[in-house]
Amino acid sequence: MIITLWKKEMDSYFSSPLAYVLIGLFSLISGIIFFNLLVTYTDGIQALPQNYSQNISFIEEVVIKLFANINFLFLIFIPLMTMRLFSEEKRLETMDLYWMSPIQDWQIFLAKALAALSLIACMLLMTLIFPLVIWGAGIKDFSILGTGYLSVFLNATAYVSLGLFCSSLSGNQIIAALLSILGIMFLWMITWGGHLNSNYMVAEIFTYLGITSHFERVLKGLIGTHDMIYYASFILIFGILTVKSLGRRNWA
Amino acid sequence: MENILVVDNVSKEYPGRFAVKDASFRVKKGSIHGFLGPNGAGKSTTIKMISGLLRPSNGRIELFNEVVDTTSLHLKNHIGLLSDNPPLYEDMSVEKYLRFVAKLHKVKNIKSAVENVLESLTLIPVRHRLIGNLSRGYRQRVGLAQAMVYDPPFLILDEPTNGLDPHTVVEFRELIKKLSGTKTILFSSHILSEVDQICDEITIIHQGKIRASGDLQDIHRKFHQGLVLKVGLGPGEELPDLSRFGKHHVTGHDVSPREQIYNVIFELDTDIRSELSKFLISEKKQLLTFQTDFPELEDIFLHMTETRK
Repeated sequence: MIITLWKKEMDSYFSSPLAYVLIGLFSLISGIIFFNLLVTYTDGIQALPQNYSQNISFIEEVVIKLFANINFLFLIFIPLMTMRLFSEEKRLETMDLYWMSPIQDWQIFLAKALAALSLIACMLLMTLIFPLVIWGAGIKDFSILGTGYLSVFLNATAYVSLGLFCSSLSGNQIIAALLSILGIMFLWMITWGGHLNSNYMVAEIFTYLGITSHFERVLKGLIGTHDMIYYASFILIFGILTVKSLGRRNWA
Repeated sequence: MENILVVDNVSKEYPGRFAVKDASFRVKKGSIHGFLGPNGAGKSTTIKMISGLLRPSNGRIELFNEVVDTTSLHLKNHIGLLSDNPPLYEDMSVEKYLRFVAKLHKVKNIKSAVENVLESLTLIPVRHRLIGNLSRGYRQRVGLAQAMVYDPPFLILDEPTNGLDPHTVVEFRELIKKLSGTKTILFSSHILSEVDQICDEITIIHQGKIRASGDLQDIHRKFHQGLVLKVGLGPGEELPDLSRFGKHHVTGHDVSPREQIYNVIFELDTDIRSELSKFLISEKKQLLTFQTDFPELEDIFLHMTETRK
């Protein structure tokens, strides 16, 4: 059943220009960012004496910054992707079709989340050209490439579950997108709040609740159980909230 | 005959108002049950509660002897709903959409189920067309097809002929009549003539309350015990106060240059025609027409859905 719903969602993405526009724009912007990072890195190396230039890490200056920027792009791209998933169904009253079928709300949530993640996977697939370019240029240090992709994908999963919840709250796509953007920004700001707080305990709690600290750890390959628990519980909580929101049937 | 649907004291309350209040009625197996009411009477809300799309605030709905709830998954394959705004995906072709619906309902032989419904609803010529490009009549057919593709024994049709051209309306009625042998149908409408033509039972709802429910013939018979009079008065003359003759209701008023005709329905067991005619003449009215009539469904409906005098 989930596969049937997932296929329908994928068809819906790719039968409209939305998927192509999002993938195209994402590739273009991430390509520009990658190019700029490379230019800045090579300029930096050339500007320094040879014995100092070895201290500039390619991983730190290009790879980590690239994934951080991809995470930043998700702030806009994921809400654009998830905003319509429930809001549009509400506007068109097509949720009735699911609610008249022997399908549970969690299956609808899961199928829509998987479809959005599949589209994100397509976007990330386009960025695989960057490691190929680097490899072609003779740099073979890909030690954090896997964890880099894992970190952005985990963040994307969290943002998608948040975006789906926001979409389930409103029949207006713009409101749903704005709520998602504010929600993601709030997740970032919690971590900044942790950095600014002088109380150790409060700072630790803030840092744990914010997504950025977990993202940075996973990105650098320092994945801990608590990071996995954080992502799993985040997705589960917003999944449950979305199912609860759908279960209220306040749209009908 | 066995009741397929039992609606028992069901209410739906929204902040500050009741959309439906203490509604009770039954639908017999194999019948075509007309659900009548003016716009905003609570028809669609009641239908959504029966379909499990809305939770009642109070009361109980039983379908096939099971309590309906938004989570009653096993009942979902037993109800087909054509709502006033059918849930159609405009970017899908007709065939693809019906296949999708059949998959959602876990239909075993999807191909034959889709072919059957395409054929019975004459959708074959448009099977590959996008739903978004179809006319309203065809979209309504696709809506009915999605309600039928998994062959539910109980169909709920919420104002299915609304906005259709006269040809399509006639076709739709024929189709519903054809289905009556195999399915139980709850048919909501405010077009009284079509309900009179195709339904065996009716329920009249007004301002969220059930005003009458039962066998159409019984309801007709009950109202035949009353009196319907067509009273024609002179030009410009108004009907005087008739409250001395008991509960009554003016269900129609035709104005012509020669006379003013009033249709009046009285809830009486006694014959008041003689007294009434004398009264009107004593009131110095020109009594040009004075004709007894049997109440049509329209008279009953208007009587039930307007404030009684």
